[in-house]
Amino acid sequence: MYEDIDIFELAKFAIKVADKNFSNYKCAEIFIGKSEYLNIEVEENSVKYSEIGRNHGISIRIYQTNGSIGFAFTNKMNKKVVEKIVKNAIKMMRVGTPDPNFKNLPEKLKPYSMVEDLYDKSIKSLLIEDAIDHVKDLINVCTEDDQAISQSGDFTANSNLSYIFNSNGIEVSGEETLFNISSNMIVKDTINGDVSNGYESQMKRMLADIDGTKTAEEALKNAKRNLHRKKIKTKKMPVILSPKGTINLILNPIASAINAEMYQYKRSFLVGKREKKIGSDLININDNAVINGRVGSNIFDGEGFPCRNKKIIENGHFLQSGLLHNSYTAGKEGVESTGNASRSSFSSVPSIGISNLILQPGTAQNDELIQNVKEGILLNSTADSPNIATGDFSGLISQGNLIQNGEIKHALNETMFGINLLDLFENITSISKEYKIYGPYSAPYVKIDNVQIIGAQSLKN
Amino acid sequence: METYDELSLFDNAFIADLIQEAEHNVEYWDIRATVSEGTTLDFTDQKSTEISSYEMTNCGIRAFINGGWGFSVLKDLNKDSIRSSFLKSIKLAKLTKSLLKNEFKIIERDPIEKSFKIDCKLPLSDVNIEEKIKLVKNHEKIAASSSKLITNTRTIYMDGVSNNIFINSFGSKIKQTLSYLRLLNMVYSRKAGIIQRSLNSVGGLGGFEILSTEKAEKLSEKTAQESIKLLDAKSPIGGQFTIIADPKLAGTLIHEALGHACEADLVLSKESILKEEMGKEIALQNINVIDDPSMGQGKKLGLPYEIFGSYFIDDEGILSQKTTIIENGVLKNYLHNLETSSRMNLPPNGHGRASSSSARPQVRMGFTYIEPKDWNIEELIQDTKNGILCEDFLYGYTNPTTGNFQFKCKFSYKIENGEKKELMRDVALSGMILEVLKKISAVGDKNTFGHSQGICGKGGQSVRVCDGGPYIRVDDITVGGLN
Repeated sequence: MYEDIDIFELAKFAIKVADKNFSNYKCAEIFIGKSEYLNIEVEENSVKYSEIGRNHGISIRIYQTNGSIGFAFTNKMNKKVVEKIVKNAIKMMRVGTPDPNFKNLPEKLKPYSMVEDLYDKSIKSLLIEDAIDHVKDLINVCTEDDQAISQSGDFTANSNLSYIFNSNGIEVSGEETLFNISSNMIVKDTINGDVSNGYESQMKRMLADIDGTKTAEEALKNAKRNLHRKKIKTKKMPVILSPKGTINLILNPIASAINAEMYQYKRSFLVGKREKKIGSDLININDNAVINGRVGSNIFDGEGFPCRNKKIIENGHFLQSGLLHNSYTAGKEGVESTGNASRSSFSSVPSIGISNLILQPGTAQNDELIQNVKEGILLNSTADSPNIATGDFSGLISQGNLIQNGEIKHALNETMFGINLLDLFENITSISKEYKIYGPYSAPYVKIDNVQIIGAQSLKN
Repeated sequence: METYDELSLFDNAFIADLIQEAEHNVEYWDIRATVSEGTTLDFTDQKSTEISSYEMTNCGIRAFINGGWGFSVLKDLNKDSIRSSFLKSIKLAKLTKSLLKNEFKIIERDPIEKSFKIDCKLPLSDVNIEEKIKLVKNHEKIAASSSKLITNTRTIYMDGVSNNIFINSFGSKIKQTLSYLRLLNMVYSRKAGIIQRSLNSVGGLGGFEILSTEKAEKLSEKTAQESIKLLDAKSPIGGQFTIIADPKLAGTLIHEALGHACEADLVLSKESILKEEMGKEIALQNINVIDDPSMGQGKKLGLPYEIFGSYFIDDEGILSQKTTIIENGVLKNYLHNLETSSRMNLPPNGHGRASSSSARPQVRMGFTYIEPKDWNIEELIQDTKNGILCEDFLYGYTNPTTGNFQFKCKFSYKIENGEKKELMRDVALSGMILEVLKKISAVGDKNTFGHSQGICGKGGQSVRVCDGGPYIRVDDITVGGLN
């Protein structure tokens, strides 16, 4: 589809324009991205909408010797516009402020690790009809259940190519695929008419790993578990986080807090905590980019730097080397980049992002975790996120159930909870053997003791 | 904008050609194309971390047959690629149609042939990059130098101009020249191990004059002061409280606690708790709620530009207009796009919106607000024996199916015996859609009316929205806290 554009030639042309217009720049980088996608949407449990599309673009990032940055991008892949945007980037660089913290763009020093199964070549022959088969799996689950009254969901297939070329000798290109399926199931209780919903999704590198039936069944299970919602009283009690809850309350906040940019600007609640204990001995977290076939895996990052596996937290200790870096933050701290430069598309300057963030599973059986709770909460998800600067969390349990005498009981309505993340980490008393993978996260069940639950049931009742 | 020519390829002959391709094949189609340019300046601690410019094109083509939609997205604007994407979208629509269960038609609407242009007193093209940088640097400096407690500042400036074309099978051909600007300022401060931050923004549709208001000029000063003020705030105590919400928070409440559940696509898909409430009294009798994204709101609010949530037409070629959602407590209208209005056999009301020409329109809000009534703010506080005065919001969300919503306030003051007392931070409020509207026990007068602007997410797309209202009092709200 893109045979008309020679991206390698266009990148070299862009560098030539830079050389010609401002020869004594410190370093420059060309990033070219191309993608194609296909998307089928289900509404009211019926195929409703299908979409195909493509995207492409080129950006240039250029630095002056004083560290001042210029950036420009376009999706008009012709030399005339590319010449214009390179000149624009130079103009931006010249008016920027000096930044002594900027050291350099990555240099070609280290070998790249082999990471396999990032690209599924079956996408080349994927027809919209094949995609529809996956969506039919979703639809069948809803049709066959008495309580399911509606479902919205989608299937998306994406292929991306990125090419990075910089003036320090980095030149890499790679292709990757991403497949995604999701279901939001609506159920209605046949007796009392109560309505609720449940959500589930999968994100995979390989099409063969996508399982629509399992996704819809899990959404249905969540939806049914979310029926008969009741308000509860305000009380301190233990909370069992489901894998999604673990992502919401542990992995996602940690992903932000170990971002070196957040850390260096002192916007992280983990500032000053390196080489210190930040929670229970049970916490072991690493960020691994080099697992074959995983969504967060990569050979090189958004700046072309080699990716690897990094230990972040070991037996509750936040490691000195536990920050995620791109070349800028690494240069500022005087360390090597960790290969975590992240770039959502050609149109963004590299920020920092996780690869596959993994909370290592523990020894507890999932059932035992629940069975051992006399009175507590099973927290499946919250849409809130903590204040990363302070670690304070207060928010709503979007999907959760009361646990009584080791059994999962009714769902919760209007139930909130609050805790500081450092207290949460400290109060972790058990982690399950079983874990689930959602996108770039690997999350077990986690038990936290002594959490303040705020119920809406009045004390008078 | 010199790139305007690129859209001139949609001449009458080419459109006639597309109409012929579609004939007997599809029941409805539309094409949206945009050519845009813009600038982003991102400064942290008075240093530039991004100074960028862009030049982009976007185009999306939609076809519809008997309940099935096909959509094709392309980036190269030339007649060949547009024609081939047009045919692809027809093929997709046919395929979708062959699989679906729910058949329906799109009701034909009157065609519109018109050009619209955002009025800019100081066009962005007349302002050079040095001037924009000077402004951002100045905000950074003001924030950083306002106190020793400030640890980190960030200012982001974004602007963009675009030329847009919309063509559909009703015979509409609409051209728009748009211009927007947004300035965000974030300040972190630290004292005795406690870190706090505040964030404020101004934005609208227009030119550089958007930054000439007093509010815009004092943006960073205000953010810095707020951040420092929060250092001494207390953590909230959880429980049930009466709250007084300021206009920004009242707007967030109505957006989350009512607006989303009124989006007719969610009603049709049985995902809205309001699906059987039309014509019923869902709020107290004195409550009126409006969504009015039409132009001219800025002027009414005393601003020299159009507000962020306004638009001339929606992304399906329907003129923006005032819609009464709740009148005297009764649910009067849902918000519609072409599809939902056709299926419910009602006139469309201009709420089919997309984040760009590359994304499909969904039902979205524009400028949602509560109409003012008669309470004076001082009286309102005095009349409230014990409760919380909540000002401004951090974020909010809702589950339209269960009706549970939640949002977070920036500042919250305890009210004791009718007096404003100590400040609390990170107060989270939660409630149920069908309960909360009946708990609004007082609505402020027009002197207190205000609005806020932001970005609202749904189905992976973000659109510009505004919401607002006067001060309101809500009884018996659940407040989450750490204690």
